[in-house]
Amino acid sequence: MTQLSDNKRGITVGLFLLIGLAIFLIGIFTLGGQKKTFVKSFTLNVVFDDIQGLKVGNNVWFSGVKIGTIKKLHFYGTSQVQVFLSVEEEAQKYIHKNAKASISSDGLIGSKIVVIDGGSPKFPFIEDGDRLMVNNTLSTDDIMKTLQVNNKNLVDITSDFRILARNLVDGKGTAGALLADQQVANNFKAIVENLKNTTAAADKMAQELSAFSKKLNTEDGLANKLLTDTMVFAKLQSSVDELQKTAASAAKLTANLNQASAKLNQTDNTAGLLLNDQPTAEQVKSIMKNLESSSKKLDEDLEALQHNFLLKGFFKKKAKAQQKE
Amino acid sequence: MLLELYRVHQFVMKFFKEFLFPPYEGKEIIRQCYQVGYRSLLLISLTGFITGIVFTKQSRPSLAEFGATSWLPSLVGIALLRTLAPLLTALISAGKVGSSIGAELGSMKVTEQIDAMEVSATNPFKFLVISRVIATTVTIPILTFYTALVGLIGGFVNVMFNENTSFIAYIQSFLDSITFLDITASTIKSIVFGFTIGMVGCYQGYNSSRGTEGVGKAANSAVVIGMFLVFVEEIVATQITFFFKT
Repeated sequence: MTQLSDNKRGITVGLFLLIGLAIFLIGIFTLGGQKKTFVKSFTLNVVFDDIQGLKVGNNVWFSGVKIGTIKKLHFYGTSQVQVFLSVEEEAQKYIHKNAKASISSDGLIGSKIVVIDGGSPKFPFIEDGDRLMVNNTLSTDDIMKTLQVNNKNLVDITSDFRILARNLVDGKGTAGALLADQQVANNFKAIVENLKNTTAAADKMAQELSAFSKKLNTEDGLANKLLTDTMVFAKLQSSVDELQKTAASAAKLTANLNQASAKLNQTDNTAGLLLNDQPTAEQVKSIMKNLESSSKKLDEDLEALQHNFLLKGFFKKKAKAQQKE
Repeated sequence: MLLELYRVHQFVMKFFKEFLFPPYEGKEIIRQCYQVGYRSLLLISLTGFITGIVFTKQSRPSLAEFGATSWLPSLVGIALLRTLAPLLTALISAGKVGSSIGAELGSMKVTEQIDAMEVSATNPFKFLVISRVIATTVTIPILTFYTALVGLIGGFVNVMFNENTSFIAYIQSFLDSITFLDITASTIKSIVFGFTIGMVGCYQGYNSSRGTEGVGKAANSAVVIGMFLVFVEEIVATQITFFFKT
């Protein structure tokens, strides 16, 4: 019984220790997998002026993927720092000789990391022991300096705004008057009212325009036919051609008339002489006067002739024939 | 005081002398491992789980102020692995196991059972002290791994219900923030804690006197001195770890 109990106890203790060790080993291997400890790697190095607190064990990222860790740091030259990166071999086929490294941060308040860009495909792939070029980025200090300038600007802006607000409150300037002066406010109200009316009118006009355009679009309308009926268009084109010809004739006529009227202003032709020459006009007037006098006398002579016995019969016959008609 | 320190020194030296040379009391070691390790597992697991939940819950408001609740897995992981799991396991073991060893050996001392063992040609030091110290030195680190695991699960339960974080993301975040040095330091520390608790319990019990009063005093001293030394060792271990880190 005691032997059985001892065996049971031994098994229990064995299992207890085994599971505990398993937890430990799984933890070690998972962490190793995470830290790429058991992955084949090669070493790169890069020389920075300022490593901004980078430490051994910090991550190396490529395209946002962790590909290695910082292996070693030591001073280089006068004040630079040489950083050795342990990068997994899998990433070698993506990094080219002209790739650049920069120091960044894992999140806003995260630990420092080294970020590698891939470089140009024109260059061969990177090899063990190669040195990466440095891509200088803004450090936290630089960002803080920029922020300080921004803060100063912000102070100036707020100070200006303070003056602006004071002026507004005091009713200075147009905006201030708008806020403080009752008359200006009333005018503004009236303007707004007018604007409202104008908008309403514009709205109405737009509606009417819309209705008009609808009418234009009706199937039997002229505009619609012009746009859609090819026959109407052909007729219209023919009419336009005719009109053009008429216009050309009219132009010709006008030219002739111009020519004629020009001649009328000259004295080398009869009509021009009649219109423009004073002696001829006087002469014509005299002729007309003589003609009038002659016609009057002729009229009297003819009257006398009608009463002549030789022709009296003829005129009587004529009067009778007119009466019959 | 100096005499006491000399006695402790003698006791520790005797342990190493006896430990280096066989034979070993295998059955007794297994029995002690069972008593110290397996019998403490439930208590340790429950405490670890509750610690994980409570620590996560208490840390959240501070991180939430910076909008950094996504750092909870890292924080809980680092805290548990570096300090909470080894310290918690050691303190509980000092209370439960240290007092038990002190009282057991103390009562054996006052009832002269240890003298009887010597008379019957059994090495009482090897049978009583070596087996118990080995048991505490081996099982307390194992219990520490359990505590860390269960504490992490407790933290995950809390994070999952509040931040809807998946288990993989939780573990990834935790693993991102720890290093091999953390695991190594934690393991070495818990081995030292286990050794200390076993040695203090055995020393107090083995050297107890004045009847039943001495037994109580031995049990009490085993707990108090054991816990105190655990804290002292924790400070020293932290300093050494930081030295290696930087």
